[in-house]
Amino acid sequence: MPCTSRPNVVWIVYDWRCAIVIDAEGQTLDVEAWSGKMSQFLIINRLETIGLGGISDEARKLADRWPDACLHQAGDPELPEHEFPEADEEMIQALNEAALVMSEAGVSKAAGDPDRRLEHLLRASDELRAAWLTMESRMVEWTALFLPTARVERDRARLARSIAESPSLEDLATQLECELPETGPGELEWKSLVAWSDSVRGHRGKLEQMEDSIRDLASKHLPSLSKLLGPLLAARLCVSAHGRMRLARLPAGTVQILGAEKAFFSHLHTGSPPPKHGHIFMHPWISRSPWWIRGKISRMLAAKASVAARCDAFGAEIWKDSAVEAVEARMLEIKSEHPRPPKGRRR
Amino acid sequence: MAGRRGKVPGREIVPGFRKQGRAIWTLNATPRKNVYGETLLRTDEGEWRRWDPSRSKLGAALVRTENHVSDLLPLPGTQVLYLGAGHGTTISHLHDILCGEDNNKRGRIVAVDLAPRCLRDLNYLAHSRPGLVPLLADARKHAIVGAIQPQRVDWLFQDVAQASQVDIFISACKRFLNKGGSGLFSLKAASERWDEDGERAMFEKVADMLLSSGMEIIEQIDLAGYEDNHMLFHCRNI
Repeated sequence: MPCTSRPNVVWIVYDWRCAIVIDAEGQTLDVEAWSGKMSQFLIINRLETIGLGGISDEARKLADRWPDACLHQAGDPELPEHEFPEADEEMIQALNEAALVMSEAGVSKAAGDPDRRLEHLLRASDELRAAWLTMESRMVEWTALFLPTARVERDRARLARSIAESPSLEDLATQLECELPETGPGELEWKSLVAWSDSVRGHRGKLEQMEDSIRDLASKHLPSLSKLLGPLLAARLCVSAHGRMRLARLPAGTVQILGAEKAFFSHLHTGSPPPKHGHIFMHPWISRSPWWIRGKISRMLAAKASVAARCDAFGAEIWKDSAVEAVEARMLEIKSEHPRPPKGRRR
Repeated sequence: MAGRRGKVPGREIVPGFRKQGRAIWTLNATPRKNVYGETLLRTDEGEWRRWDPSRSKLGAALVRTENHVSDLLPLPGTQVLYLGAGHGTTISHLHDILCGEDNNKRGRIVAVDLAPRCLRDLNYLAHSRPGLVPLLADARKHAIVGAIQPQRVDWLFQDVAQASQVDIFISACKRFLNKGGSGLFSLKAASERWDEDGERAMFEKVADMLLSSGMEIIEQIDLAGYEDNHMLFHCRNI
């Protein structure tokens, strides 16, 4: 029952350091102040309790003495006009210091947040991949300028290693079994090319390490979703949705088109066809399927992924292999139901 | 970071705050240190920090307002509540006015933000600026804010840029603002659901919501130019 509708009501008003009892006229009837030793630890403890909607020890004592009273935090607008004991300088100082410690603890807690860690890892690996590909294609073009007859495009990973380990262009030419040009690179120029290839190799190694780390973190943070979609795709969906909890709360239709925002909003604004898949397209069940069933499979898979994300976020049982197999069976069923492209519809 | 030397700029509006044409200055509470790359000016009466209106919505409002500039500012030595504190640009200037060096004016400013990244900057600032109290919390969770700020305040600022920012502001004013106190509310139009009648209609709708919840609107300050698609509402709780 709301306090104001009761007759002869009294209120207990409390903050972290004292509690008072007032009547409807705002007269103070009883006071209980924190008398124990004030340590920062205890202050923080109290502030956290009150912050979560709990009450202080003083308020509890008063509540025992005034069992009919309504409990309210100091400053609550429902209370009648009243005087509340003012905090002195020293107390405000102690409160401010405790608040700063709490805030610092809150910030360092963010270091353990897997959502934030995944975001940095994933974005870093995207940036590294972009840098690596750019550098690698320059390396190939650069080498091909000096060795026009070599087929250097074939195995780029091996090319980087061969260049980095060759003392001169002649060595590389013998290794690749091709002819030397009339004028080759100068000594410093060759060294620059070798250093460039060395960093291409280094970037590749770092990228692999980074992706292993994403796999590791995602399989712990999103075990069911990782099992269904693979840890890299699971991590991408989680980052794209701004965190596991938000991903779990998204409808499956949104999970389906996460990553296709541009196409989706262009659909809303101009009426272009809506996207059938976003990041989820990376999954081989969709990208390796013929075009006329990709939309169906991605819709089904997104719905299952959404369930898996909810299992992870709300702490349900981790998906077993049998659950993933059931989804795969459904995927195969869709495939066999639609062996040929629909008539009259073109890609 | 060595500041220029010069004359005391403009005229004093409130202690620790001066205005010279479009330039606004606060008396630096941490001399020889600037917070976000702003200009420092050393004078015989202490060091002044230039408040960049394009980095701070309150700063922009102070430049734009057609009423008295002092109406928008809290009194030195009072307690204020700032919801959506960000990285502490505006906070640092408010702290100059409210608290001063080593909090000699005995002010208190509770800076609430939800993002740990922002709190990292605020915590750093709080170490050199006593009186500034950072709080990592959701501005909608009144119990947490109320635990740190048990007294009601006379000046409240909100800049949260998220959907339902009006409701957050109204409930925060009801809970934390004294009768007759000033509530300043920066509305980001892009954070609300798109209104078919455009931005003007949205601003009017928000004004209606504020009025019907028992607030008096003293001034609406359009921040376009400094901060596009933003409107600052200067309200009084009645």
